Amino acid sequence: MAKTYDYLLKLLLIGDSGVGKTCLLFRFSEDAFNTTFISTIGIDFKIRTIELDGKKIKLQIWDTAGQERFRTITTAYYRGAMGIMLVYDITNEKSFDNIRNWIRNIEEHASSDVERMVLGNKCDINDKRQVSKERGEKLAIDYGIKFLETSAKSSINVEEAFYTLARDIMSRLNRKMNDSAPSGGGGPVKITESRSKKSFFRCALL
Amino acid sequence: MDNIQQNKDSTNRSDLVSEEGKNRKSVLCQRCGSKVLCPGMAAFAEKELFLPSMRKKSSLSTTEGTVDGDTLTSHWLVDDMYTFENVGFTNDVGRIKYLICADCEIGPIGWHCLDDKKSFYVALERVNHA
Repeated sequence: MAKTYDYLLKLLLIGDSGVGKTCLLFRFSEDAFNTTFISTIGIDFKIRTIELDGKKIKLQIWDTAGQERFRTITTAYYRGAMGIMLVYDITNEKSFDNIRNWIRNIEEHASSDVERMVLGNKCDINDKRQVSKERGEKLAIDYGIKFLETSAKSSINVEEAFYTLARDIMSRLNRKMNDSAPSGGGGPVKITESRSKKSFFRCALL
Repeated sequence: MDNIQQNKDSTNRSDLVSEEGKNRKSVLCQRCGSKVLCPGMAAFAEKELFLPSMRKKSSLSTTEGTVDGDTLTSHWLVDDMYTFENVGFTNDVGRIKYLICADCEIGPIGWHCLDDKKSFYVALERVNHA
């Protein structure tokens, strides 16, 4: 069957338990149904389709729910990941401090060119805030990573976060294509319909 | 697909299944309307599959050790999981992964066996068509 998308991006959500990673995957955060059966066996990953700059993009998103200790998350888990959302809870200082540990874990185990982004989640609960927005921004600057405060509950910046990460990954893929192009043709590489998009991604990954 | 059915008893089937055996309409979550499949992306297929109940615990009357559910035979079949617009996959239950709504997580709406990497089923009875 012909491919019906332009890009396939594999993303991970990483961060301490309780920071609301799973909620970032809901469109309606309060609306999760979780039947007995589904909540017992748990969710492995989700596929979502977005449109960005006229391209149809499939996001395959894994959530680390239930295995949030750094030591348990190693190379196998990161294999194939093109983007990682590092999530902390602005009402939980410890989850913010741990972002540095998570970043170290990524540096040890993930591909060196994986795109990263830091999210300070639960920004709707301002009266319980323990981590200022400035501290989040500073941490992100220290590591050269993009940063957003999000609220899965109030749907603030959640879509923006995924779009930003997706756009950054696409730019990197396009840069890579250009770098490996045989002649010095400067402009962005046009991905034509006839090209197999799947193999394009495999090349980009390896 | 070779198992297109035009049963006399399924009067509205031709509303859903095109002459080529594909889904005429979008496949949507029954609960939140999240789009699972675009029109024309899946093939109608018949296969007996057991799907656990979509109801919440409070409304379930299970006897211990058994799973409440239905054996369903009418499905939309796709051969590549990236054909889905939005969908979630559960962790493995034996060799099976169940499909759920990516947005509200209701399910199972479908079935995938790890031994057949090119078959992903979504039960017609567990989705809406629009």
